[in-house]
Parts: sequence; C-alpha cells; structure tokens
Amino acid sequence: MKKKQLLKEKTSNGVRKVGVVGIGHTKFGNLSDYELVDIMAYASLNAMEDAGIDGGIDQVIVGNMGAGMLNHQTGIESALVSTLNLEPAMAELVSNGPASGSSAFKMGYMAIVSGMVDVVLVTAGEQMRRVTGWEATDFVATLSHPEVEYPYGLTLPAFAAMFTRAYMAKYGLTERQLSLIAVKDHLNAEKNPFAHVQLPVTMEGIADSCHASVVNSYVSEPLRLYHMCPVSDGASSVVMCAMDGAARFKKKPVRIAGIGSATDTHCVHNRKDPLDLKAVRLAAEMAYKMAGIGPQDISFAELHDAFVILELCLAEEVGFFEKGKAIEAAEKGETEVSGRLPINPSGGLKAKGHPVGATGISQIHELVKQLRSEAEKGRQVKNPKYGLAINFGGFGNNVVATILAKE
Amino acid sequence: MNIAYELEMKLRPPQKEMLPYPAKFITMASGEKMVIRQAKREEIPLLLEVIEPLIKVEKDFYDIVAARFYAELLGFFRYRVRDEYCLVGTIDGVVTSICNGRLVNDDLGMSYHTMTIKRGLRCGAQMFAAKMEYHIEILNQKEVFIVAESPIGFRRWMIEYQLEPRFHVQHELGGVPTYVLTRDLYFAAKERLVTGTRPVPEELLKTSDTLILPEEYPQIPGWHR
Amino acid sequence: MYRVDKNVYAYKCPKCGQLHYPAPMRCKKCGYRRYPEQEIEPNFQREGYKPWEKTPLKGSCKLLTYTRLWNLPIGFDQRYLDFGLVEFENGIRASGRLLVDKPKIGMKLNVRVGKIKEFYGKVCYGLQFVKS
Repeated sequence: MKKKQLLKEKTSNGVRKVGVVGIGHTKFGNLSDYELVDIMAYASLNAMEDAGIDGGIDQVIVGNMGAGMLNHQTGIESALVSTLNLEPAMAELVSNGPASGSSAFKMGYMAIVSGMVDVVLVTAGEQMRRVTGWEATDFVATLSHPEVEYPYGLTLPAFAAMFTRAYMAKYGLTERQLSLIAVKDHLNAEKNPFAHVQLPVTMEGIADSCHASVVNSYVSEPLRLYHMCPVSDGASSVVMCAMDGAARFKKKPVRIAGIGSATDTHCVHNRKDPLDLKAVRLAAEMAYKMAGIGPQDISFAELHDAFVILELCLAEEVGFFEKGKAIEAAEKGETEVSGRLPINPSGGLKAKGHPVGATGISQIHELVKQLRSEAEKGRQVKNPKYGLAINFGGFGNNVVATILAKE
Repeated sequence: MNIAYELEMKLRPPQKEMLPYPAKFITMASGEKMVIRQAKREEIPLLLEVIEPLIKVEKDFYDIVAARFYAELLGFFRYRVRDEYCLVGTIDGVVTSICNGRLVNDDLGMSYHTMTIKRGLRCGAQMFAAKMEYHIEILNQKEVFIVAESPIGFRRWMIEYQLEPRFHVQHELGGVPTYVLTRDLYFAAKERLVTGTRPVPEELLKTSDTLILPEEYPQIPGWHR
Repeated sequence: MYRVDKNVYAYKCPKCGQLHYPAPMRCKKCGYRRYPEQEIEPNFQREGYKPWEKTPLKGSCKLLTYTRLWNLPIGFDQRYLDFGLVEFENGIRASGRLLVDKPKIGMKLNVRVGKIKEFYGKVCYGLQFVKS
C-alpha cells in the first residue's frame, strides 16, 4: 500500500513529488537591532507553525549571501539549528549571491527528491542595515569580477543602468515608463504587511512634477532613486516535504511543479549581446519543461525587480511578452493585481525590499500565499493556478526559476 | 522695573534683523505637497514636543540629534542663542521634518541640525537643501559651516554637496570635523539637490498655519501620541 | 619588482588564437588550459605547454552603453563616476571609466590606462575611455 502511494505521488518521469506545507516571513526593513540568526529563527518558527509542526525536520538549509562580511559571523546554519533546538537535523548553507534563497530551495527540493530526507526547512535571511549604505553597496559589488569590474567602482546599480541605457536605445523605453512600474509595485507593497516600503508613490511625485528630478534623483543614470529597491534586512522560510507524507501537515501542500537554473558569464561585458539575459531564459525554459507547461499557463509571477527595468526584461525573457513589448502590457494594466498577468503582487524587490539572500524564499512565500488564496485584500490574484518566481543572482550570471502549482 | 527682568534683559543676546525664509512647496514622491516655511518663535514649544520622543532613540543617532536639537530650540525660545532660525516642513499641517541654524555674521552661517520624522520620502534632504538655500540665496551669505553627526548625514551633506573640508576651523557643535558649503559649491549642486515652488498657493499655505504633532514615529514602533 | 605594470591585457589562447579578457583558466573555444603558476600545480609538465600570450588592450573602441553613477561604494570619494562598456576592434569587450563630456552610444573612443582607485595608499590602474 505504501509503495503504491509512493508511486502515485511521483511525476510522470518517476521523480518524487515535493510540496511546500509551511511558510514564514519577517517584516522587511531595518531590523539591525536584532541578530541575523534570531531573525531567521523567527521566520522559521512561523513556517513551522504554519505547517503545524514543532520538530520532525530532517534537514535545515540556509540561504544567505553575506553573513561572513556583514555580520562577521559564519556557520549560521548550525547556529540556526541550535537556536531552534532542532538538533540533530542536518544543516547546510547555500550561497548564490542575491539568488541564494532560491538556490537553497532548489537544494531542499533535490534532497527530498533524492529520497535522502522527507522534511526540509529552508530559511533565507540577510541583514544589510548593520553597515552603512556605502558598505552595503560595496558588499553587493563584491560579486562582480575582482580584477576587471570591482576595482573600477562599478556597482550593481551601474550595471543595471548601463543595461537600461542600451535597452532604451534599442526599444525606445523612457524614464517615465520605468516610473510606471515603480508606482504599481509600491501600490502592491502598501497592502503587503511584510513590505519594507509601505508608501504609495505617484507618477506626479516621481516623474511628472517640476520637482521630480530632485525628489527622484539619479542614482545611476538613467535609473533614479525610485527605480531601485531599498536596502533591507529580513528573513523568510518554508517547510517542504515529500508529497507522499504531506497529509500529516496542517495545510494542503502547494506543489513544486518546476525548477530550473542556469549561469551566464561572470563578466557582464563578455555576453554576446549586452541585452541578452540568457540565464533567465534557460532557467525558465527548464522550469517550464519540468512542469510540463508554458508561459501562457502562468497565472502570476514574482520577478526579481531589484531595478524596475528587470521586471520588464525578465517578463520578456520568460516568454510573457515579446522583446521590447513588456512596457505596453504594463501600460495597459495587464501586470497589475487585477490584470491578465499580475507581476510582483507582493510589491516586488522594488518596494517589498531586497535583503539579498532572503529574496528567493520571500518570492516562494508569496507564490504559496497567492496559490493558497491567503494574500491580503486588494492584492490577491484571482484563481491562480501556477506561479513563477525568477531569482536573479549577480547581474544575471546565476539565475533560478521556480514554478509552484495549486494542488 | 524689577531686577529679575532687568537681569534677564542683560542675558538676552541682541538679535539681528534676518530676511525671512519665503515659504515654498515641494511635491514629494507620494504626490503629497510638503510646505517648507520658517517656524515662528511661538511655535517652538510645539516643535519641542515633536522632538522629545526621539531623544532616547539610539538607532541612526536620533538620540544625539534630538537631544541637541531640543536644547538649541529651547535656547532659541528662551533667548539664549543669538540669531537662530528654524525651518519646518509640513504635509497637511503635520510636521514631517525640521532644521535649524544661525548666523555668525553677515557672511558666515552655522548649520545646526536637520531631523526627519516622516521617513521614506527624503524630507530631510529637502530640509537641508532649504537651509542651504536660506543661507546662500536669501541671506546672501558667503559660506556655511556644517558638521555631520551620523553616517547618513555625512553621505547626504558632505558627499552630496562635495563640501570643502576645513578641519582647522571650529564648528559650534563641537569637535566633529568642520566642512564648508561655499557659494560655488551650492550653485554647482543646486540643480540636482534644491527644488521648490514659490509662492505657495494660499490654500496650501493655510494647511501649514497650525502645526500638527505627528501621531506616530516610524523610529519608535508601536508608539502613539 | 616594485615597478607597476600599468597595462591591461587580453589573453590569447596559444592553441586556437581566441582572445579573452579577463584571462580564463580554460579557453572558451578549444578548452586549452592556462597554468598561471608552477607553484600551485605540482604535476605541471612544462614540456609541450605553450604559455598564453598577453596583448595590451589599446587602440580604438566603440561605446556600447554607459552610465553616470552617483552612489559610489566605500573607497570612492568622488561625487560621481562615469562608466562605459566598449567593444574593441578585435572583438574584445570591456568595462571601464568613461572620460568624455557627452557620451553617445556608438561613438568611437580611444583607450588608455590610468589611475582608477587609490585605497589606503594602494593605487589601482585600469582602463579609461577617452575621445578618439
């Protein structure tokens, strides 16, 4: 009987099915008074509570980019297990820049699929406000090439700005159109209790008024302050399990339908086409293939909009829109919560915040929340079936795509 | 005339006639209009109430800025600081941010403090810009001495305006290294950092007539007036 | 030994001639290995191994995109810095400092090597793109 059940819970290619049964999240923002591990523990306990368990975790996987640098602390995976009193659960740290969270999630999935474990707690966190803005900018920039990029003072906003400039030249996108995306994201974040910036911004305020060029000044031309994510602290957590054992949890599982990931050149200049985000495309294709669906089946998406340009370009790379056309859909309101294909109903990195290592799990958290129809009033997507998350490491050099499905 | 009053008159510093800061408004990112105007002496007690809850907030050096700001405004109100002024920023009458400073002489301004209560809109950056505008453009001064007491302040003022380090001169706030805004530096930064519209439409200006205390402080979660 | 080599180099694969910047440990076209130091490879066989040829990055290039960065990381005290991404005539692409007044995508530039950073007394040299 048990064997029969197990077979039933496998996908057509014979792979064990995995689902998410618990989610937890801290508020994103300035949490610098707390210890990083405590923040992660808080999110973990919320996820366990949501799953209706108080232990029974086989493995803990932590996603984090920079505790060694920012907190001067290593071994946070062991520290987390210990503060949660989950010993002797296995514990590992997964690091993949700003895509650390999704990579940790992928590793959790692989661990369960392998049959080695049944229940995995994946917790991702980052604390960037313990240091000054200069140091935080420098910290993120350390993921660029140490000889031919970093020493010049190039930062992630600079790469994004150069990308935006080239995109504008090719497709005619304007700064004002970029602001439209920011306004939509802020509107969604205002309704998200976990969001860092719960402040609506208006087109008048950030683009149209005669004061806008000062109020919304350039950070890296042509990108302005409100075209970029804030620097945030925060953590998010999920409990994943094999679907064959999901019945013992409090809530119905949300199924992991597809995961894909791919890399691209470390140096941005070495890409054949500076506007080609190949790793995004390949990761999404892999996830679609695994899920047996295509972009037309996705009900909503959480895309890594650390810079608003990325919401547009990622939407194009994953096949939602033709190249250069995403802005038209945004202008028609198609990507709003009530639109045909809502994008970043959480507020996205842009307004929900971007504690780099935590972002991937935060995106998964949002997918689960939406697919369970538990999102707050005004930002719940209507009858979602499939949700897609794109977590973007480096400037597109290590990308993870995740598709979750309503069971 | 009683002796106490006579003594009080002796203690009070002489006050210079200062051109008033002409009110302006700025459309913030939220679309809200922030009115920036000069605070009247009789409004200082209310501004002290605005500041008071922040005196014990260590995060982002609010404690040191709030405690010193409180003392400076009290000194202004009780006639113990010479030629001081205070500017106030309001949205719908609610105080969002304040800044102050004083005139050392006709040519030299002394910037004191800038404090933001409402966060996320960069109100403080606009208040600091207004303060520099007051010294350089309205009062026509040659230089303003400035210090930073927090990393955020250092980034906003010293780096944004590329202020000239002049560590051998003494700022009135103590030993923190002194930086100087010259007229050239101000006008070089003006287009990028200083904005606002004058005159403020009557209806909008009216909203700022009676200052309203903030009900909540993002710096003190859970605190309500 | 204290003289600073101020050149910035592209590396040519000795087997297939493919140019790389920066130097990889394995040719992207033919897979030929690059041994940087004998010390880290005890089984290094010098016989038959051809070292990679260094070619200074110089000459004219085309500006592909650019930005003016106003928020600099720690270690830079300037108010802003301009950066460009260029393509050299030999196909090599690189990022570097842009030192032209009115940059325009597609404009011809020349490259030179100059100081890009000074941190705790250590000077770093790198690519600067100037008007051709």
